[in-house]
Amino acid sequence: MEEFQRSTVPRKNVIEFRPPLYKQRYFFVKDIVNQYKPKKVADLGCGNATLLCMLKFHSCVQELVGVDLLMDRLLDWNSDKLSPSIGDHLGPRDLDLSIVLYRGSAVEKDSRLLGFDLITCIELIEHLDSEDLAKFPEVVFGYFSPGMVVISTPNSDFNPLFPASTFRNSDHKFEWNQTQFQHWASNVAKLYSYTVEFTGVGVPPPWAKHVGYCTQIGIFKKKQPDPGSWILAKPTGSRVSEPEEHAYQVVFTASFPSLQQKHFLLFVLCTEVLKEVEAIRQKYVWIMKRKESSEPESEEDTDSGLVRRPGLFLTDAQVAQIEKSPKPYSVGKRFYVPLKRLIGYPKVNRLVADVSTLRTLLAEGIPMRLNRAHTSVQIDLDPYDYPHDYR
Amino acid sequence: MSGRARVRARGRARSPSPADAPSPTSVDISASEASSTGDFAGTSRISQTHGVSPGDARCPFIQRGGKGRRDFMDLDVCTREKLAHVRDCKTGSSGVPVKLVTNLFNLDLPQDWQLYQYHVTYVPDLESRRLRIALLYSHRELSNKAKAFDGVILFLTQKLEEKVTELSSETHRGGTVKMTITLTRELPASSSVCIQVFNIIFRKILKKLAMYQIGRNFYKPSEPVEIPQHKLSLWPGFAISVSRFESRLLFTADVSYKILRNETVLEFMTDLRQETTMSCFTQTCEKRLLGLIVLTRFLAFPRYNNKTYRIDDIDWSVKPTHTFQKQDGTEITYVDYYKQQYDITLSDLNQPVLVSLLKTKRNDNTEPRVAHLIPELCFLTGLTCQATSDFRLMKAVAEETRLSPLGRQQRLARLADDIQRNKDARFELETWGLHFGCQVSLTGRVLPSEKILMQDHICQPASAADWSKDMRNCKILSAQSLNKWLILCSNRAEYVTENFLHCLRRVGSCMGFNVDYPKIIKAQENPAAFFSAVQKHVDPDVQLVMCILPSNQKNYYDTIKNYLNSFCPVPSQCVLTRTLNKQGMMMSVATKIAMQMACKLGGELWAVEIPLKSLMVVGIDAYKDEVSKGMVVVGFVASINPGITRWFSRCILQRTATDVADCLKVFMTGALNKWYKHNHGLPARIIVYRNGVGDGQLKTLIEYEVPQLLSSVTEASANTSSKLSVIVVRKKCTLRFCMEMNRSLQNPPLGTVVDSEATRPDWYDFYLISQAACRGTVNPTYYNVIYDDNGLKPDHMQRLTFKLCHLYYNWPGLISIPAPCQYAHKLTFLVAQSIHKEPSLELANSLFYL
Repeated sequence: MEEFQRSTVPRKNVIEFRPPLYKQRYFFVKDIVNQYKPKKVADLGCGNATLLCMLKFHSCVQELVGVDLLMDRLLDWNSDKLSPSIGDHLGPRDLDLSIVLYRGSAVEKDSRLLGFDLITCIELIEHLDSEDLAKFPEVVFGYFSPGMVVISTPNSDFNPLFPASTFRNSDHKFEWNQTQFQHWASNVAKLYSYTVEFTGVGVPPPWAKHVGYCTQIGIFKKKQPDPGSWILAKPTGSRVSEPEEHAYQVVFTASFPSLQQKHFLLFVLCTEVLKEVEAIRQKYVWIMKRKESSEPESEEDTDSGLVRRPGLFLTDAQVAQIEKSPKPYSVGKRFYVPLKRLIGYPKVNRLVADVSTLRTLLAEGIPMRLNRAHTSVQIDLDPYDYPHDYR
Repeated sequence: MSGRARVRARGRARSPSPADAPSPTSVDISASEASSTGDFAGTSRISQTHGVSPGDARCPFIQRGGKGRRDFMDLDVCTREKLAHVRDCKTGSSGVPVKLVTNLFNLDLPQDWQLYQYHVTYVPDLESRRLRIALLYSHRELSNKAKAFDGVILFLTQKLEEKVTELSSETHRGGTVKMTITLTRELPASSSVCIQVFNIIFRKILKKLAMYQIGRNFYKPSEPVEIPQHKLSLWPGFAISVSRFESRLLFTADVSYKILRNETVLEFMTDLRQETTMSCFTQTCEKRLLGLIVLTRFLAFPRYNNKTYRIDDIDWSVKPTHTFQKQDGTEITYVDYYKQQYDITLSDLNQPVLVSLLKTKRNDNTEPRVAHLIPELCFLTGLTCQATSDFRLMKAVAEETRLSPLGRQQRLARLADDIQRNKDARFELETWGLHFGCQVSLTGRVLPSEKILMQDHICQPASAADWSKDMRNCKILSAQSLNKWLILCSNRAEYVTENFLHCLRRVGSCMGFNVDYPKIIKAQENPAAFFSAVQKHVDPDVQLVMCILPSNQKNYYDTIKNYLNSFCPVPSQCVLTRTLNKQGMMMSVATKIAMQMACKLGGELWAVEIPLKSLMVVGIDAYKDEVSKGMVVVGFVASINPGITRWFSRCILQRTATDVADCLKVFMTGALNKWYKHNHGLPARIIVYRNGVGDGQLKTLIEYEVPQLLSSVTEASANTSSKLSVIVVRKKCTLRFCMEMNRSLQNPPLGTVVDSEATRPDWYDFYLISQAACRGTVNPTYYNVIYDDNGLKPDHMQRLTFKLCHLYYNWPGLISIPAPCQYAHKLTFLVAQSIHKEPSLELANSLFYL
């Protein structure tokens, strides 16, 4: 949207924000997400879904929803950005993530928006006419009733600092000053049992501190019997029994690869295990060669020499734990690393908690790489031992 | 093609094209800027960029980075109309007809189908392509029509009522924009612009089938084949295109796999650190990584999703804890940035940053922007040289990707089914009035098999794929006796060398190649010792040097070959000790080596019957030098006797950015002189096979290479000059042919020719299957006769080409391309990989590079 304003209306503003105000608003939401770690986030009036594109990277977010009246015309541009990329397939997320975009209005009820942890309405309410604005609190706070709502809107107290004396955008139905917004917000909060605090982005210049932030923001948190655990607040249970209302139209869905999906877990695990085994093998062969050439013993020849290597970041406790586990060994041309040892490596341990799960998964993913007893992973001691041609 | 070379290719293509070029070449109306534009290492595609000139009605098409297709440029080159003898008919006649299934599909259009091209302007002018498109698409007038739009040019299948349509749009944040849509052209379905629009439509359709576009092809991430032991993920997919073939519009789909690596640059670096000493680590690292293409989701400028980057440099002085300046001017450390922006914690705070030069969109001279990438967050793509030389890895990949004709057919059938069943895909086709039809079958011919002429025996091989058994105990055509020669081996290999020598002499005498006892020199087991032994003992009187190498370390081979090919030109033969140690293989190894040695001394092994009595055949190939980037090695190999058994080989290193050869006149004149010396006259006919031609180079070939050859030919003789034909040979084509047999599908028999339906109307072209594929599906070789004075009947041209595929002396069987091409390829390969300089002229009369 910002982009549009820039390209059509020659900018007269003397006041410039760095980063641009719209980015500051998005970063504000990102900070909220970082702070409160919501699982389900919806953006009402998501426009070209830029905010969603930014939020999809957060590991805590598992469900992202965007709603906008004019969804389809901008969708083409962002469907690629919202879809899993090649990299998402190669390095899957830890947790599932699904993204859904709906065409619909923020003043219509849709049961698919129930149960969210965070709903954001960035620069939305000022586009609502008085009739819609009246419906808005009931839909968002009363019906959707998420754990948290973030609403941003222009602060008209700031407008005198701009050369133009009109609204910031011709589609704005109103622009509230700080008192008006806070009055409206406090009433809404009271009515639907939310707390509200006010902040904003776009710091005024030092000589006009009194006008407040250029964009005013209200953060609404649902009141809890037990304060402090607000985020766990699932929306009221009574809603579940209500009939499903589907006023919105699905225009886009995407589901991201994650380690919660067995297929991806299996591949990532097998790859990580084999990478680890290969690295251990290299170190093992190197130490063996040094022993052969009977160079004086050094710290490298001890077991921790075998464990530690560049690029592998282990705490002393982790090293000690690995050292306690059965050692890698070689028989003939084969090299073996016991599963009990592998589980000590953080990159493996991150994926599976215990040896038996590790064994089961490896037996499924790379059965040929397990020894007969399924206690160790085996590879060739010298993988480059193969014939070549003549010419 | 290496990453560097590819970028050079891009740079080349970016050279300004005249705005009033008569035939615009490419449109790109893909719905998104976000799709990948980078090709991956390992594919040989060339992408290009052209100047953008919005608003210029004369040059209405916009080519965007990487998406312009060079093969479309080739299709505009009409060579057949100049060849009178094939204007009416270019099909052959000999051989047995065979019914073949292709990977082509019919695309049907209504009889009166037309495409309407409009030019769209905006008042006030909008720079953003997205906005231009968003505004136009949201208009009711157009919302239900089949359309393709790139921000300037609009294509519709239904004509608008008025020639000029004025629309105005309220933007949803205020402001009115006036759009003027002016009809500029009405295009029939046969127009090349329509073909491009069809390709765009199919790209859209494949995206709707949940496939990813990487480079030009489409891949399905939902069904990957994973090879964890090599950190690889293979995505199955298709190379697709829509094109006009002989009489019809056809859709081609060939199964393709994308090799993705599950390895980050950081992991690659740490692996390397373990292998190498600290002192040469940075150097080795740069050597291996620079030029590679990486893939990342995370970037300091998060603008694209599936974007790839080329590593242009590694900045070792920058660490993730250092700060950089964001676009808005604020400073932030990489660690904080990635935490804040992507919720990612970097594990290694000592890693350097990768530097990638970003391509500028326009032809302006602004300083190139650079992207800083964190190694930990970048995945490697494609296969490095190290990986491709890893025999196990390549075997694992081949096992997964090699599809039998039946397997391939099943994939194709599924794709066709998906296209026809998917609601969105069907809707897209229907709105454009396209009908996706059935798979095309056609009739090919199997050429009669050839007899192999030996010295005192004519053999009809049991299988043309391999006649080594049929040749056993037959004498080769001619061989120089080997009297003064050397064997160089390590002390440890003495015994095995003696053994081998015994075998060699025995098989030699069987084939009529007399091998005397050599002088045996022993050397220490290191490259320097081997090299100095060569220097010390080889003099120009020595006929041949054989080196029994202790390992396949490249040093041994390269230094020896380098010395013996240019400083002291003596034919050489390198053999690995390990090869000689193979149990029970000694005789067959000795036979092969004896034949190679005979050739290196200028011998002739076998021949086929050539009905044309005074014919010279020439093979040309171009290959990029591995070490000195920016150099292209051009090889030229010409036959110098009517039997086509003796060869003249020249090679040059050319400092140029293209694969187009400069020195052909000199080479051709040299070859004609040689021919004159041996035959006391000039050849009546010359047929040149040109290999190693990239997409989009056809025109250059006709305008630049053919005249060089012609001028040499006409200057050679005052009265009657030799007649010349030039044929472009392509080993890689997306077409596949299969034969139905016992309710299954098989590869067609050797010698199958296809010269109808799957060929191009404007070219004199044919497909020939001349190589056997034991497993997998055979890849036909594509021949395009671009120049032809000889006026041979198409049938004769096809048969001659087939005969020439029998004459490669390094393999007793048919090969995929004519022998001179393969010789030229082998020569350029040796020079580009190992010796990096022109081999001595003294060797030109023998196949010293086999």
